[in-house]
Amino acid sequence: MSTPVIHDPSTLPSDDNVNAYTFCVELKGSQWFLQKGKMIAYYGRIDFNGIGHGRLDRLVRTSFHSPLHASDWVVAEGSGKMLLADRAFDVNSYDLDDGNLTIRAGNLLAYQPSLALKQSIVPGFLTLLGTGKFVAASNGPVVFMEPPLRVDPQALVGWADCPSPCHHYDHGYMTGVMGGLRALTGLGGASGEEHQFEFAGAGTVLLQSTEVLMADPGTGTVPHEPGVPGAGSGHGQQGSAPRLPGQLGDLQRRFGL
Amino acid sequence: MLAVDMTGDAVKAKNGSMVAYDGQMAFKKMSGGGEGLRGMVTRRLTGEQMEMMEVKGQGTCYFADRASEINLVSLHGDKLYVESSNLLCADAGLRTGTTFTGLRGGASGTGLFTTTVEGTGQAAIMSDGPAVVLRVTPQYPLSVDPGAYVAHQGSLQQNLQSGVTFRTLIGEGGGEAFQIRFEGDGLVYVQPSERNTVGGDV
Repeated sequence: MSTPVIHDPSTLPSDDNVNAYTFCVELKGSQWFLQKGKMIAYYGRIDFNGIGHGRLDRLVRTSFHSPLHASDWVVAEGSGKMLLADRAFDVNSYDLDDGNLTIRAGNLLAYQPSLALKQSIVPGFLTLLGTGKFVAASNGPVVFMEPPLRVDPQALVGWADCPSPCHHYDHGYMTGVMGGLRALTGLGGASGEEHQFEFAGAGTVLLQSTEVLMADPGTGTVPHEPGVPGAGSGHGQQGSAPRLPGQLGDLQRRFGL
Repeated sequence: MLAVDMTGDAVKAKNGSMVAYDGQMAFKKMSGGGEGLRGMVTRRLTGEQMEMMEVKGQGTCYFADRASEINLVSLHGDKLYVESSNLLCADAGLRTGTTFTGLRGGASGTGLFTTTVEGTGQAAIMSDGPAVVLRVTPQYPLSVDPGAYVAHQGSLQQNLQSGVTFRTLIGEGGGEAFQIRFEGDGLVYVQPSERNTVGGDV
């Protein structure tokens, strides 16, 4: 074990990694969006203000479009150097050049206001649009893959430039009464990999090298409107007949009953 | 994992943190962290309890605890302030003691008292993820999230800085309600992870 490197404001990198788990942002009178509680230390004068802060109204109007996540985000403003980290997970910065990227909400740590944050129509994911830098965390290094590709739901961090994924079920395995029972009970050898996300088209898919997820902060639900995916969650099944006691619920649909 | 080469000398280590050794080793529990009766009473009173053992012998001894990262700190007559739960191992020549930290401890959820290590030698401290060492000089004071603070050394004044305003109360807080501000001359060890703190969720 070697002697640790001692950092001071002049040796800390500007908008780069200090080590694999810590990222340093330099603020020169500029602003960054930051997920709450990810700042571990800073030099200089930096103010942290909630998104609802009146003075930030204009900034929020141009680069923050996710009312559900508003309570998890703050704006850091001032001059100095700020260190970001998240539960000793790997952090990395990525540059977007007039691009788009969708990422799991819990994995995004910070982004420059030149990017616009929007809620993806895939629940629990956020989309960044525009040009600028953002910082994301992953458990283990991030792997970049190109579609066509099927990925494990837990390993997915995000995707860029490609259409949103769809669910893929190993159909032959899951249908029929025996298949359904096998999937539910694990008897007869469920591999645990019967369900994947499928990506098609051109782009990049970001995967983390473990299946440990970050805890997603409770973000509420999207407006309850017809045609909005995820809008009905928490309200039971809308549209279908109310479930009667003794019915098998979703099982019956799986078995085609 | 920390490997300590020993030739008949001794180290103090957290009780039960030995994972392997070769050579001849003797392990002795040090009641009250080897600080005598007064130290024992102080620790009992302050809740800053520390179970230490003395390891003595010839060979190499390996220490580890919950796969946390280990950082070595060299002390040259100065004082290191560390939470007892973050101290893994120290040279036997280093004196350990307890000190009052004031409000900071209350905010970081680690108690109002902390452990000091003093003298000349090496100490090993643990952190969740490799610690970042930050220098504080009079021109460059440093603010640290209480949940990420691990240890500090040198002559530093710390005070709790609160960003609690009426906005926090109406749920529009900045998310960083408390910070410890270090001023003076010294080093601060910060881990890339946050303990759950009283102030952390405000």
